[in-house]
Amino acid sequence: MQYFLNGLPIGAIYAVVALSYSLIYTSSGVLNWSQGDMVMLGAYIGFTLTQVFHWSFTPALLASMVVVGLVGVIVQRLILKPLRERKAPPINVVIATLGVAIITRNIALAIWGPDAQVFPSPVGDKPLQLSMISVTHQDILVVCVGILVMAILQYFLKYTKEGKALRAVAQDRRAAVLMGVDTQKSDAVAFAASAALGASAGILVAPIFFVTFNMGAGIGLKGFVAAVIGGLGSIPGSIAGGFFLGTLESLAGGQISSGYRDAITFALLILVLWLKPSGLFITKSRQKV
Amino acid sequence: MDIYRLAGRKFNIILLAIVLLLPLFISNLYYLHIINLAGIYTLITLGLNLLSGYTGQVSMGQAAYFAIGTYVSALLMIHFQISFWLAVPAAILAAGVFGALIGIPAMKLSGPYLVLATVGFGEITRLVILNWTAVTKGAAGLTAIPLPTFLSIKITSEQDFYYLIIAIVFVGTYIAYRLAHSKIGRTFSAIREDELAAEAMGVPVNMYKIAAFVISAMYAGMAGSLFGVFAGVASPDNFTFDDSVAFLCMSVVGGNRSIAGAIIGTFLLTVLSEALRTFQAYRLVIYGGILIFTVIYMPQGIYGMAPIFNKWIERQPFAKLLFWQKPSRE
Repeated sequence: MQYFLNGLPIGAIYAVVALSYSLIYTSSGVLNWSQGDMVMLGAYIGFTLTQVFHWSFTPALLASMVVVGLVGVIVQRLILKPLRERKAPPINVVIATLGVAIITRNIALAIWGPDAQVFPSPVGDKPLQLSMISVTHQDILVVCVGILVMAILQYFLKYTKEGKALRAVAQDRRAAVLMGVDTQKSDAVAFAASAALGASAGILVAPIFFVTFNMGAGIGLKGFVAAVIGGLGSIPGSIAGGFFLGTLESLAGGQISSGYRDAITFALLILVLWLKPSGLFITKSRQKV
Repeated sequence: MDIYRLAGRKFNIILLAIVLLLPLFISNLYYLHIINLAGIYTLITLGLNLLSGYTGQVSMGQAAYFAIGTYVSALLMIHFQISFWLAVPAAILAAGVFGALIGIPAMKLSGPYLVLATVGFGEITRLVILNWTAVTKGAAGLTAIPLPTFLSIKITSEQDFYYLIIAIVFVGTYIAYRLAHSKIGRTFSAIREDELAAEAMGVPVNMYKIAAFVISAMYAGMAGSLFGVFAGVASPDNFTFDDSVAFLCMSVVGGNRSIAGAIIGTFLLTVLSEALRTFQAYRLVIYGGILIFTVIYMPQGIYGMAPIFNKWIERQPFAKLLFWQKPSRE
């Protein structure tokens, strides 16, 4: 039970990152490896705003999401657009986003230095004892904000014009173009929304771990794993995948071996890919993988 | 038409002479060390080109086979005093077995799913090496890996290693070239272009896809056993995800649908990442920028630019002087 609860906050963070992967993948067909570094960037901007400029938590969260969202748009305009215009093979797109990740990481290193920064929790980290189990206020905050962010995304996709355009493009890119949807714009929206999601995950995860310039690689990879376990491209699947991975990691780390925790995660991943490539939480296979 | 045919046999002889005499002109051992390292990486990239360029299966886990090659051969040499020349086939074999192991689940996958499966395999391998301290010595790594001998000559200096590595790279390149231009290579390309059509033509697609994985793993295993004796030490830090990414970048930047592209890309990126050290903090920023620039403006990699380069050089007045023969125009 304790392990299950420990897994929930990290699961919420994985779910948010998994969503950001899914969003870009379904709407523009791009596997964006720089997503993890958007998490890192979000954490650093949140850190700077709260610790250096003494902003409070909520405005810092929003500002960081906006700034990183803009970075997402810049990435789409400068890199994805020319690649798409040249009809580059998918592997080139992957390498380009890896290039973005390398650049972001090293710019962060140049700005904030190599030392890990402590991001104190906005609600304090005194544990809350409930008979047998204990949770920290930070954990509750992470789960609540995580769910809130996911709910806002859902609202955005369902009820706004940009969100509807995004879903149309995801369903059928050519048909959407014929119906007058500006795909460049919808790509930009997808990149901005994904980057902003990543930034929110960054601020949420920052008090749990330290903020470092290379934190993005690990979180980004786990988020991607969660997205694939849940079914890349499906929103409920990504959320379920995130929570599933979080609790699984907590259980594997606590009950089996902390050293082999990630190895168990990846072994499970390969097994899922082998037996059920469309993801654990999708019943019917929507596309050939 | 490619540059080699244009230049004719004389160009090849000049190239061979340069390669063989290179250590005599490089007095700085550090430069030679970088060239040797690039030579080892070339083997990995050659295999990766056959896998991702020819067959169209992207792998971001080549560092795993590289690690398996290093550890298998180094452990055999340390604990059983086996000579390097017997440890190499064992390392290649072990890497090949693991190649098949990941090739089997991978044959059903493509796109991001395949990428993730290979990333996952790479991470599992690294974590096992890190945690299985009884055998691999964990994070401390293996030390004092014995030096290889060749006909009772002990290979010790950078120059010795240069000739050992160059000889193996030559053999590796020759095999890769023959493979790529054989029925197997053409089948790989057919699978990349249209898997269903290849299947319909009676190609056992799954078998070929697994074979591509095994071949690329064997190349990385060979590179691994060379790396072990060359570096003398090996730790999990040598085989991270970032290394796998670097290998993939070398393959794509050089041009992953050719054998020459593997060599060009590996040497260029290895030398580049060292040359950029003068920029210190911004080294990797510039490196990333160059990666992005290449994949946008040279979608087929640097070797993909060869036809354009050939046309340009044909138009130059000194073309005849340079190659001592009239450029052919059909």
